[in-house]
Amino acid sequence: MRMDKVRPWLTNLYPRAWRDRYAVEFDVLLEQCLHSPLDVVDVFLGAVDAHLQLLNGEDLSWRMMNMINKLRTTILMVFTAFIGFIVAGFSLVGLADDSPMIPLMKTNPALAAAWTTIQVGSAVALLAVVIGGLPLALTVVRRALAGDRRSRGLLLVPVFSFLALLLYLVFVFLVGSDRIQIQGVVRVVQPGYFPPGNRLMMEGLMLVFILGAIASTLAVWKVISRNDTEQETFHAVGRSLTVNIYRFAFMPAVIAMLSMLVMLVATVSWGWLSFSVLPQVFAGNFGLWGTNTQAWFISIIAVMAVCTAMAFFGVRRGSPGRTQQ
Amino acid sequence: MDTSDFGRFSDPALLILASLAGGEKHGYAMIEDIEAMAGVRLGPGTLYGALSRLEQSGLIQALPADERRRPYRLTALGNACLRQYLTSLGNFVSLGLQRLEA
Repeated sequence: MRMDKVRPWLTNLYPRAWRDRYAVEFDVLLEQCLHSPLDVVDVFLGAVDAHLQLLNGEDLSWRMMNMINKLRTTILMVFTAFIGFIVAGFSLVGLADDSPMIPLMKTNPALAAAWTTIQVGSAVALLAVVIGGLPLALTVVRRALAGDRRSRGLLLVPVFSFLALLLYLVFVFLVGSDRIQIQGVVRVVQPGYFPPGNRLMMEGLMLVFILGAIASTLAVWKVISRNDTEQETFHAVGRSLTVNIYRFAFMPAVIAMLSMLVMLVATVSWGWLSFSVLPQVFAGNFGLWGTNTQAWFISIIAVMAVCTAMAFFGVRRGSPGRTQQ
Repeated sequence: MDTSDFGRFSDPALLILASLAGGEKHGYAMIEDIEAMAGVRLGPGTLYGALSRLEQSGLIQALPADERRRPYRLTALGNACLRQYLTSLGNFVSLGLQRLEA
């Protein structure tokens, strides 16, 4: 019997979860010690045993798998919380841009400091998510391109969501530049009056953005949930780098969560300071689509608080003490 | 934790623990060591069936891969478990020998 021909076939007898964890080292062992038909029978029985372990649900107690599952949930929770926080952050920027608070920040150092803290916090959180998520993103894209059709389909969701948003923005631009004329939509909005047609168009833009963000987050969540690989090797400029992708992403997730906490405190402080200096602004309608400033601001704070709490519980779930349980 | 929890893998599990008590090893080194130590040659399927269970139970720990080979080492729990088992086995052996000599 030609053992080198039988070897790959033998490893494939094992369940996928088992192969993800042991296949590389097991292949090396088979290269060294698969000599006789008895060894083949031994491996065959080992594969049957691994399947029985899965059928009995014993894999659920696998410490390694348990740790990966917990860390993966942590990363997904922090990632989703960050997306929600960013949507709330954009709303805050929209509120501030339309109000007299921006000019006020030039003369009020405390207000300016709170705003700068929010900006620095958002940059740190974004950097942490990008750095922590990069190996994971590369891994899932690599797996999807290597033949996982379902993952490939799911990864197209963020691409199409982005394209839909881009198309809508082009449409808004064409309307704004009078190349497309729609009844009830005016090109230049007068201060204090937002026509219903323009409001409908902006609501459409917000809807495309929010639905795209939700669909993309769910699709990416699903793709990452399907990825049981903890360790991935990357090759670049003639070098190989092996990364424990979930463990690598944990510390950036902690940094992103702490940044969200700092931004939440800074946003509350910014709102409080603005209210004490310009209370009339909060009684006005500087919210999105001319909604009440106070109600809109409280909604932003509520979303930020929920997202920060979600990130906190995610990090708590993946903390080293808990992944060992 | 008792190695009898590993069913038909209880003997290989004990051999692996005893092998790793002598220092960290990868799969092939364990097979060679166990053969030299106990005169038993474990098959690759048997070895990894027992290894995965020992790892799940926290008795051994996988170390970072050395190229494609991954070494394992005994954990503190594994050390205590092996010590307890060998001590009780030693008592049993002593008692058995005493009875034979009586």
